[in-house]
Amino acid sequence: MFDNPKIRINELSVGYDDGTQALSDVCLDIPENAITALFGPAGGGKSTLLRTLNRLNDLLDVSISGEVIIDDMNIFDRNVDVISLRRRVGIVFAQPIPLPFSIRKNITYGLELAGERRRAKLDDAVEGSLRSSALWDEVKDRLDDSANALSGGQQQRLCIARVLALAPEVLLLDEPTSGLDPISTAKVESSLQILKQDYTVVIAPSSIQQTARIADLAVFMLQGELVEWGSGEDLFSAPREKQTEEYITGRFG
Amino acid sequence: MIRLSRHHTERIVFAVIGLAAVATAVPIIVIVGSIFFSGAEAVSWQFLLEMPRDGMRSGGIWPAIIGTIYLVVGTGLISIPLGVSSAIYLSEYANDSYWTRMIRLAIVNLAGIPSVVYGLFGLGLFVLFLDLGSSIVAACLTLSIMTIPVIISTAEEALRAVPQSFRVVSVGMGATRWQTIRRVVLPQALPGILTGVILGLNRAAGETAPILFTGAAFFLPKLPNSIFDQTMALPYHLFVISTQVPEMPITIQYGTATVLLAFVLTMNILAASVRSWQRRKREW
Repeated sequence: MFDNPKIRINELSVGYDDGTQALSDVCLDIPENAITALFGPAGGGKSTLLRTLNRLNDLLDVSISGEVIIDDMNIFDRNVDVISLRRRVGIVFAQPIPLPFSIRKNITYGLELAGERRRAKLDDAVEGSLRSSALWDEVKDRLDDSANALSGGQQQRLCIARVLALAPEVLLLDEPTSGLDPISTAKVESSLQILKQDYTVVIAPSSIQQTARIADLAVFMLQGELVEWGSGEDLFSAPREKQTEEYITGRFG
Repeated sequence: MIRLSRHHTERIVFAVIGLAAVATAVPIIVIVGSIFFSGAEAVSWQFLLEMPRDGMRSGGIWPAIIGTIYLVVGTGLISIPLGVSSAIYLSEYANDSYWTRMIRLAIVNLAGIPSVVYGLFGLGLFVLFLDLGSSIVAACLTLSIMTIPVIISTAEEALRAVPQSFRVVSVGMGATRWQTIRRVVLPQALPGILTGVILGLNRAAGETAPILFTGAAFFLPKLPNSIFDQTMALPYHLFVISTQVPEMPITIQYGTATVLLAFVLTMNILAASVRSWQRRKREW
């Protein structure tokens, strides 16, 4: 179905220091230029899997075994530069968390960290990324206002924009629309459809319906294990596993 | 037993706690008011800017004022970098281990040590063992040991109040831990840190015991020339002219108390306005 995996996950297990096993023997190929949606009930390991892909879990005490290979590079190798990995694999969280800066500074922050000082480059990145996340027209006249003055939906699109400004290869989204109204959700979803042409998108959608709307590859996760995966259409019209069927028809979860 | 209706209970409770609030405010108002009232006539530009004369019985208190400023600035130069760095280490880098618990315990206990003990410790370590003599630098080091715990605990609290999510977001965008601290965490915690710094230095400005053996002079005919000289200082000068000099005019005593009190109150007001600036500026 997909023959151009961007990320190959081999027998990945992740445990937290309190003893919970968040992921058990996960194997999955994530295709390039497509939307891969991880869905399932809470506690299934979706967030853990996303945060493992750019090693954000390093901030916590976790034990990890297995491999995650992005473009032939195992991200757990000792000599991997974690900082540059996180620039290649950007993440957007469930809660829109703008940094306590202006709208413009939120976007230029990541580039400035890497030493970019040229005003023209930064301005280009601000406009380009805000256009990609469908926020430009709403904020172009007040880029120097505090990012906290934006509505929740605008903040979330700002959070997507600031990740895009880093020109990542992979975009991770952890329930990016969970706090948004339907109109904002629709805007985010439609911008994802455009973004997938240039990026590898991995998302934990906020709902089953959203999974059905946007998933090219849908992955059903339950208690840290992959139960079943397939193209969005196949999985929702003819699930192979009983658990998947029960979940998507609303009998549990 | 008499049962009161809850309306009566309400009134009595409010009366009692209201009275308690007034009772704590009254002594402060009386002390500050009476000192300022009696000291106001002594305070003039000459009093502030002249050297003392006639065995301190006339003239001004300029060397004590400048000495206190030297001590506060010197203490700040030592204790702010050390205190803030320690707070950053404890809040941002240190894991919760046996050693960090020991460090925290030490800080809490340091804050509770009587100030005269700091004075004797400073005498032993800085004045005698390190052979700095009774000097400004020895006094500043002693005052720093007293100030640092205050700065560490308020600064650590201010750093911890910055939401963890900011750090995760920043690191997620490719920042190193130091970039995250420098660009996101510290600017947000700065007002809280400043409050702690001012309160700590304020204590250093008003204390007598720590500088008694380490750097304060009874009387000096001229201003100190270097950090290895002794200096006069407001709190010790006040102690001296109140208890050690016979036939001391009462107006000079009140005048000196007024200046010291005004110094300390100004710093307190500064700390309070920094705190309110912080609340207005906060974006979370």
